Amino acid sequence: MSDLVMRGRAWVYPDNVAIDGDLMALEWALKRETRPEVLREHVFAGLDPDFPNRAKPGDIVVGGKRFAQGNPHIQGMIGLKGCGVGLVAESIPVGSFRNALAAGLPVLPRCPGVRAMFENGEEIEVDFAAARLRNLTRGTEATFPPLGAHLQDMLRAGGWGPMFRRRLDAMAQA
Amino acid sequence: MSGGQTITEKILSRICGRRVSAGEVVMPEAELITVHDWYTVNAFRTLDDFGVTKLHDASRVLLVTDHEPLAVSPQAFARQHAVRGIAQRFGVAHRDAGRGGLGHVFPVEEGLVTPGMFIFAYDPHVTNYGAIGALGVAVLTEIPEVLACGSVWLPVPETLRVDTIGALPFGVFARDAAQKLIGSHDAALFEDAVVEYGGPGLASLNIDARHTLCNTPVELGAVSSLVEPDALCMAYVQARAQRPVHRTLPDADAVYRARITLDLSAIAPQVALPPTPDNVVDVTEVAGKAIGHAFIGSCASGMLDDLRVAAAVLRGRQVAPGVRLIVTPATQQVAADAAAEGLIEVFMRAGAMVTAPGCGVCAGGRIGGVAAGEVSIGTGTRNEPGRLGAHEAVLHIAGPATVAASAVAGSIADPRPFLRDVAWGMAA
Repeated sequence: MSDLVMRGRAWVYPDNVAIDGDLMALEWALKRETRPEVLREHVFAGLDPDFPNRAKPGDIVVGGKRFAQGNPHIQGMIGLKGCGVGLVAESIPVGSFRNALAAGLPVLPRCPGVRAMFENGEEIEVDFAAARLRNLTRGTEATFPPLGAHLQDMLRAGGWGPMFRRRLDAMAQA
Repeated sequence: MSGGQTITEKILSRICGRRVSAGEVVMPEAELITVHDWYTVNAFRTLDDFGVTKLHDASRVLLVTDHEPLAVSPQAFARQHAVRGIAQRFGVAHRDAGRGGLGHVFPVEEGLVTPGMFIFAYDPHVTNYGAIGALGVAVLTEIPEVLACGSVWLPVPETLRVDTIGALPFGVFARDAAQKLIGSHDAALFEDAVVEYGGPGLASLNIDARHTLCNTPVELGAVSSLVEPDALCMAYVQARAQRPVHRTLPDADAVYRARITLDLSAIAPQVALPPTPDNVVDVTEVAGKAIGHAFIGSCASGMLDDLRVAAAVLRGRQVAPGVRLIVTPATQQVAADAAAEGLIEVFMRAGAMVTAPGCGVCAGGRIGGVAAGEVSIGTGTRNEPGRLGAHEAVLHIAGPATVAASAVAGSIADPRPFLRDVAWGMAA
């Protein structure tokens, strides 16, 4: 088991969840709000407004195909990070995947078949380094292609900012 | 898996100094980095926060003022002033208002972008550079890293090959082809891919038309678009290249996500209905809907040929009562050429307004926008609610001929009857 394991309940959502509207109201992007503690209150405002009250750290959002599709605003991903949850999906467009990693949100963007693996509320364990998912309720397990080393480092560092800091420090020492 | 390479894989292989393939994550160093308007202020504020005082290579950075070139608010005056200060402090090139125009277009015109180049930009429509076979990719949050370190992580994209055949019928133009393309296919085909155009149909599509073809797929989730650099492209490039040319063609056995055919001869004038650019119908299905606002311009359709087509419709005609038509040439060069050809006179006599070169109304409706309840047809890139001002305005997008015809008719109109008596030549 790696150092990037989360365990909690599965929150299962359909295909084509939109960044703007479903995941978070566009106004937060237009306000350029980037504080996780503010944005966490508005996650899934259009789709599942009770999510911020009921989700617990360690829970995992299980998305369908094209999760967080649309104009890649980062606010929804910062909000999910603020909730302390992780994200796996059948597919995530690369702009939103970038934003998830930049926000330091544990994420696996290519897990075909994952929605069939979970019902809402089932116990889930995700090893984000090994890209291994377990349904602890059913006792099932699946493994997907893992993120590359650089992207795993980004997750461990806590997102783009800390990773950029590290790169600048390395450049200064060289 | 072995096999040949796409143009994108070849460009990124050259940049990375080794053979790379779709799917792997690379750290490509951009040969040009463009940052636009107020994003410049945000990006450099982040650099200040991180204590960065020197860029990786200032000579590769180009700041442009195009989204709001003629500043019309105190905030915009301050932002433009701040950008000038940043350009001076970091020693980077800045094409200020009146000194270039739309940053997705003038670098191609001036030969600052050449075939095979790799570019990062803080704006999704950098994909226009594909008109001459360069690869432009947008980076948002991480653009400070690109400025400070030269590179950022990028998954090598898969490629969707589009083989063009035939030629556009009378009264149908590149924008119609581009709209038809994104309106006829599932987004999953385009998402995260580079669209690579090729095929015999290209021979009838000049560089202006190719800008349009490369602009539109990003609305369906494509990472970028580019056109195979053919003889027409190389003739255009030879006349202006200011940097090395790395003409890059795909291998015959390149591995594509999918391969589709775009039959140019089977396309009619297209109109995108609200709320997205791919919500496309033939103009005949929506003709007659009254409009009050019309716009010709943007990185999708603000090139010289677009203005020629619009002028062909407007020559000797008047914009209908109750309609305002705004024309924005993409660049200073386009505006100068349009003036030399007498196109500006046509627009003025028809009752249109011609604005400072740049993005025009399309940049969020900061100039010439729309009020709640108004109906607009324009050649901007996107038509989601609020794009041109009020959230409750009704936005259509179409090619310049259709927009000009609609402005004259006062309602959405098929441009073909307006073009019957007109003869004009499309220059390469």
